[in-house]
Amino acid sequence: MSTFVGIGVSEKKDPFLAASEAAKLALYQLHHREITFGVLFSTAHFADKRLLEGITYSVGNIKLLGCSGASLISSYGVSKYGVGVMLINSDKIRFGLAASSPINTKGPRAAGEEFAHEALKNLGTTQRDLALILSDGLVENGSDLLRGIKDVVGSSFPIFGGSSADNLRFFKTYQYFNNELLTNSLIGAIFSGENLFGMGVRHGWKPLGKPHAITEVKGNVIKKIEGKPAVSIYEEYFGKTREEIKNTLIRVSIYYPLGLYVPGESEYLLRNALRIDEDGGLVCQGDASEGSDVRLMMGTKDWALEAATQAAQEAKDALHDRAIKGAIIFESISRHKLLGRLTEKELSRIKEVLGDVPILGICTYGEQAPLKSLEHYGQTYFHNETVAILTIGESHAANKLV
Amino acid sequence: MPLTSSFREPTILENIINFAGMLGLIAVIVLVIILVFKMEKIKELQAQLAKLKRAFDELDGQAKLIVQTDLELHRAQEELDKKVAGLVTLQKLTRLISTTLDEEEIFKKLEEKHITELGFDRAIAFSKDDTNVFRVRISIGYTMEEAYNILKELLNHPLILDKVLDKNKVFSSIDTDKAGKEIPDLIKLLDISSFVCAPMMKKDGAIGALILGCESPYTHLTEGDKDLVYILATQIGQALENAKLFEETWRSHQELEAKIQQRTKELSAALEEIKIISKRKSDFISAVSHELRTPLTSIKGYASILALGKLGELPPEAKERVEKINKHSDNLSQLINNLLDISRIESGRVELKLESLNLKTLTDGLTDMLAPAMKEKSIEFLVDLPPGSPLVKGDKTQIERVFINLVGNAIKFVPTSGRITIKAKTLDPETIQVSVSDNGIGIPEKDLAKLGEEFFRIDNDVNAKVKGTGLGLSLVKSIIAAHKGKLTISSLPGKGSTFSFTLPKA
Repeated sequence: MSTFVGIGVSEKKDPFLAASEAAKLALYQLHHREITFGVLFSTAHFADKRLLEGITYSVGNIKLLGCSGASLISSYGVSKYGVGVMLINSDKIRFGLAASSPINTKGPRAAGEEFAHEALKNLGTTQRDLALILSDGLVENGSDLLRGIKDVVGSSFPIFGGSSADNLRFFKTYQYFNNELLTNSLIGAIFSGENLFGMGVRHGWKPLGKPHAITEVKGNVIKKIEGKPAVSIYEEYFGKTREEIKNTLIRVSIYYPLGLYVPGESEYLLRNALRIDEDGGLVCQGDASEGSDVRLMMGTKDWALEAATQAAQEAKDALHDRAIKGAIIFESISRHKLLGRLTEKELSRIKEVLGDVPILGICTYGEQAPLKSLEHYGQTYFHNETVAILTIGESHAANKLV
Repeated sequence: MPLTSSFREPTILENIINFAGMLGLIAVIVLVIILVFKMEKIKELQAQLAKLKRAFDELDGQAKLIVQTDLELHRAQEELDKKVAGLVTLQKLTRLISTTLDEEEIFKKLEEKHITELGFDRAIAFSKDDTNVFRVRISIGYTMEEAYNILKELLNHPLILDKVLDKNKVFSSIDTDKAGKEIPDLIKLLDISSFVCAPMMKKDGAIGALILGCESPYTHLTEGDKDLVYILATQIGQALENAKLFEETWRSHQELEAKIQQRTKELSAALEEIKIISKRKSDFISAVSHELRTPLTSIKGYASILALGKLGELPPEAKERVEKINKHSDNLSQLINNLLDISRIESGRVELKLESLNLKTLTDGLTDMLAPAMKEKSIEFLVDLPPGSPLVKGDKTQIERVFINLVGNAIKFVPTSGRITIKAKTLDPETIQVSVSDNGIGIPEKDLAKLGEEFFRIDNDVNAKVKGTGLGLSLVKSIIAAHKGKLTISSLPGKGSTFSFTLPKA
């Protein structure tokens, strides 16, 4: 038996019609095989209950995960407006789906734990290989969500995911779980059986200026750097007042995130600052540790494109000798800001490595993927500004038949 | 006590101590020297460290400079990217809009995806309808009800009324010259973070406005965005103007078309009526002629019997009268036959026996037949046919009648010693034109058109003296028409006339 992947994309105005068209096209590519699992991504315009009704209308009630994003990525291109569906058929995949909400009342860590417990319960087996998660991109401490999951499945368990986004309004993001439209949620699946997935994550940003020591941290808030309020790093580098930085922080932090040095890794772990707290601390989406060095990071289009090639190569190599049947991409919105009109070029770089396979992806507010080096024992971290690629491989049984 | 006794040889221990003291002194001196050297080294290292620190700080300072320049570059690049993407979308939209000539359709072309591609999230557009009332035309990101509520407020807003609809200017939330609360009011009303509002212009001024807005507080509008929206609104206005012109043209075209159709219908009805009347006339003539011919034959028969004296010799006066009866009966009979022929030919009841006819043979026969009459008036008769005796396709009897009538007429109207010419020429590979010309009195221009009408006779001296039915030329016309030919007459009064007709080539 084998793994089959089909995708469909639509720009029809009505969410129901768009979802229904995209699902039909995906089913056509799947040659009308039985649907094991479905992925639904859309730009924020389409986040409506009718979107999910459109899926049910075309392909019935299927196991489905998805979320809203700032742009839609597919084999056909990158679009700021559209709906994309990926349908997978495989008799080798076993999985347990779960959703946990609302994150803000339960707390990210508790939500993570609840999700993991539920997913394992639904999986119904002790063998587990990968967790695929989609979370609300407005959750301030994304690392805590991961911590909650790791508390249950173990700290070295590979987790791959993206944080859903809206149109840079940072107002509301949506998660699609089976036929439910959710917000403020963590959804996902834990997969088991023959491991069909490969992962690659890169950003391409490089450090600039001297290292600065983090002297005080509170969860996801970097309170002080070298004894001074953390925001001073931006004040000093940009020569602007706190008030000026406050108005442009998200934009500035997209181009110049903070980089945390990670021993053994070739790249720094990036952190976008969301806002400045009352003491001048920088509220980030992921956490940082006291005593570690932080650098101001800078990206260029060339480095970002090169990083995409490397991430794709990593995800391809991780499948070893298995053929790639499809890929899911979580791409940071920051990269789109940096690349501008070159976003299509980044997609071509990925396609050059992966080949002509069905690809579906979404622009996110954060990405989750494991670090490869031995020092981290394959632990998953919260990332910003990366392109995270999950390749879906052919099953071994099929390869043997060939 | 001997002095020497006071000097004691130092013991070995003392010697060792002395030596160690010496060594210690030397060591201290050496250490002091080393310390002095080390101090120098430390000083040097400290100086180097300070230098490195300074270089490091300087590099950090340069990094700050790079970052600040880079930020500016990003801003410029972002603006450029946005402009290029906006222009591409604008070009696409312009093409879509300009190929639409329906007002409603023009607005429908502006979809949510285009608004997103232009870098905005919401749109609202309003313009006047035919009754001069403002209507919402585009509503993206708002329900229709919301849009109408917004419209109500907008039409009372000084910036919309004065700047856009009156002065036809574009404005946006980045305009700082308006320090008042008018722009914040609009931001609140439209529930967005930033916007651009531009007039939609027709030839005679603004007919409405287009507003595009951004939801994200992190989207920064620029002067470029204002230009983009202004161009788009102008394009919509122009497309609306074109649609209006097209509709007007189309409407007048439709009216014209309807008029033509009405006239055609009327003409067709009139033609049908004429055909019916003409048929009735032919039927009437045919019926009457048949009815007349029977008694006429009897009259003629009896008159002949009387004239020949079969019933006894008549007195000369009576004989003269009877011969007149006989002669007039012949004329009447001829008249009736012609009428019958015309009506038969016109109604298609005569079947033409088409065959190849040699024009030379026809004209030779004609010469024999009409020679006495021509001789009587010393008429010069010329036949000018192209070499090789052209062949025409026609009914021999009917074509002979054409010649007899035309040449007979000519004989009637040429003066003594006049001239009659028959000519033939090839008009095209399928048609031959034959003409009969004379140098007679000619036909006045006013009568040319009536010539060929039944019973029409030109009012002139010759006709006053020579009797005729006025059916000869009418018969010729009918015969030629039955051969799919055409009879044309040209004449100059006092100079002569030419009767030309066409026949198909054999």
